[in-house]
Amino acid sequence: MITDNVTIKKQYASANRKRVLWIIAFILISGGLFLITLGFGVYKISIIDAISVFFNHILGNPVDPRDDMYVWDTRLPRAIGAIVVGAGLSIAGAVMQNDFKNPLAEPYTMGISSGAFLGATLGIILNISIIPFIPEGSEVVVNAYIFSLIPVGIIVLISKFRKLTPMSMILTGIAVMFLFSSISQILMVTAPSESLADAYSWRVGSLDRVRWSTLPVMVASTVILSILLYFFAKKLNVMYVGDKSVQTLGENPTNIRIITMILASLLTAGIVSYTGTIGFIGLVGPHVARIFVGSNNRYLLPASAAFGAAFILFADTIAKVSGINGLPVGVISSMIGGPLFMWILIKMRKNVWA
Amino acid sequence: MYDEKQMNKESVIQEYHRQIFKKIMVLVICIIGIILFVGLFSLSVYDNITITEAYEIIWNHIIGHEYEPRSRYWWADRYIWNTAMPHVVAAFLAGASLAICGTLMQAIMGNPLADPYSTGISSGACFGAVTAIVVGVSFAGVAGELGIVSNAFIGALIPAGLIILISSKIRMTPATLILLGTAISYFFNSMITYLMVTTDADTLKSAYMWQIGNLDGITWSYIPIMLIITVIGTVFVLFMANKLNVMSLGENSAKSLGIDVQRFRTISLIIMAFMTAAIVAFTGIIGFVGLVAPHLVRLVVGSDNKFVMPISMAVGALLLLIADYAAFLLSNIPVGVIMSIIGSPVFLFLIIYHTRKRGVLY
Repeated sequence: MITDNVTIKKQYASANRKRVLWIIAFILISGGLFLITLGFGVYKISIIDAISVFFNHILGNPVDPRDDMYVWDTRLPRAIGAIVVGAGLSIAGAVMQNDFKNPLAEPYTMGISSGAFLGATLGIILNISIIPFIPEGSEVVVNAYIFSLIPVGIIVLISKFRKLTPMSMILTGIAVMFLFSSISQILMVTAPSESLADAYSWRVGSLDRVRWSTLPVMVASTVILSILLYFFAKKLNVMYVGDKSVQTLGENPTNIRIITMILASLLTAGIVSYTGTIGFIGLVGPHVARIFVGSNNRYLLPASAAFGAAFILFADTIAKVSGINGLPVGVISSMIGGPLFMWILIKMRKNVWA
Repeated sequence: MYDEKQMNKESVIQEYHRQIFKKIMVLVICIIGIILFVGLFSLSVYDNITITEAYEIIWNHIIGHEYEPRSRYWWADRYIWNTAMPHVVAAFLAGASLAICGTLMQAIMGNPLADPYSTGISSGACFGAVTAIVVGVSFAGVAGELGIVSNAFIGALIPAGLIILISSKIRMTPATLILLGTAISYFFNSMITYLMVTTDADTLKSAYMWQIGNLDGITWSYIPIMLIITVIGTVFVLFMANKLNVMSLGENSAKSLGIDVQRFRTISLIIMAFMTAAIVAFTGIIGFVGLVAPHLVRLVVGSDNKFVMPISMAVGALLLLIADYAAFLLSNIPVGVIMSIIGSPVFLFLIIYHTRKRGVLY
């Protein structure tokens, strides 16, 4: 009996060690891709040179100003942006899937994308700014941020007065989403072709717009909210078992669900208002991570983040060199990720959602 | 003691009859609504007649009565029959078909977020249409409007075909099937986006308009295919309603009651693929109705599929007809947009209303 206990504990410890190793592996891959991606873009510079420019700049050594401009001022913020997008959206997706016990849930399930898009189209097509007196050029970002939080706000508001099940929260989100996207569709179809094209390319999502000036807010919001969500990992694990189990442990499942949903939404909003709605990674990142480390959120959240970062870095590297002037990262990530995900689903067939 | 039992039995029977009555009432209201909007639609294309005359003209056309050429009725007949009726019939078929497919998909996937497009049909259809619009390539070798339609139809069947092929080789849970559908639609969507962002602004606009979905391009020549596939599909699906109820108890219960779950699911997917393809090829991607109509109905009449299916069809048809009528009056706004604007507040209201009445939803 005692030996059994010991072996079980040993097995558990070794399984956990494996999980940590996977996370470290993903982080190392991200780090490698982060350096490699600096060498790709329209401006021709070899990967080795780009990396040396990067390290020389950090160490304060003199570098060719032209190289420095491309590598340090354009590609580096973009690479950091890729990490933030991949990690942030994957974490938000993992939390949403866990909260609603639905494999189809993603960061945008509560209508964030439709809200952000409505805000952006108001800015792009009608030149309306929701907050007056903000600096020129930031109205699209601010609009998108504020509007993206309205659907979640409505859900939270309703849940104050009514007991909402996860199901009714999702359905409420869908209702608001349809309402918002129909309004932005009206704006789109009545707009001249050029504004429509602009709005469309905003929605596709791209890392082109990420600059040093936009990074601080994006990074700070992502890091803080990710850490806050990690504190909820244990509670999320219990949520995964079922609302009843949460109640038995003396916690209120609806409260935990709403708090984590708000955190995940803030996290998502902070990203999409800068980049547009980059799809795929928030849905698929957690699924891929779950295949490697299982459903325990203490491992799943970091693994999702590390995998998401690596994946978006990789997709953006390819996006930068394809097409004439590069393609939006969303296109490439779905084009590679779709078949990849299909292959994983067929190959692994390990049903973590049974 | 005995009396009390008797009372209970009576009240149960009464309650049951009340429920049945409610279901029939919903159906009747939908049918009245549909008839009303057929009349209103007719008036909007030829306003020189009264609504009763409009019904008379439609009826006379159906029974083969012809008017004296160039009389007022003759003109009215021509306008109503050539402009209003294709719209009305297409809206009816599309609404009914998408709604019943949505119900079926939600039932076999056991997921309230599933809709007729869950297996990636919309993205495949859209890819076909966008290829025709942007690149000008037709899979079936026909040009123009028909090229878009045939491309969309063929495109719609690709994702479903892939899923059916894969699921026949490997045993799959509904969750995996949906994820597979999502993966396929992401792939097609990325190709669509690629085509859209690399083309010029005007082509993008016409491709975008197709994507949103509208009934403006419908003529009588398209109706027969839509009608035949929808009717055949619907008959099959309605016969499966009982099995679907068993499925909703869970896969294991269904198996123990003698249902070959895997085969049943595959057959459902094939039927739905054809039904949905036959609609979206002509109308573009009309969202909302397939997802929301079944929920609207379930909120009102409960979840017995024998009732949910026919009533969803009526609700879906009515919803799309109202939206199409409004879209026709506003001329510039696609029907899908109108439907979401009208439908989502109703949906929201029902969710809130029901959570108040019953405490929880479902």
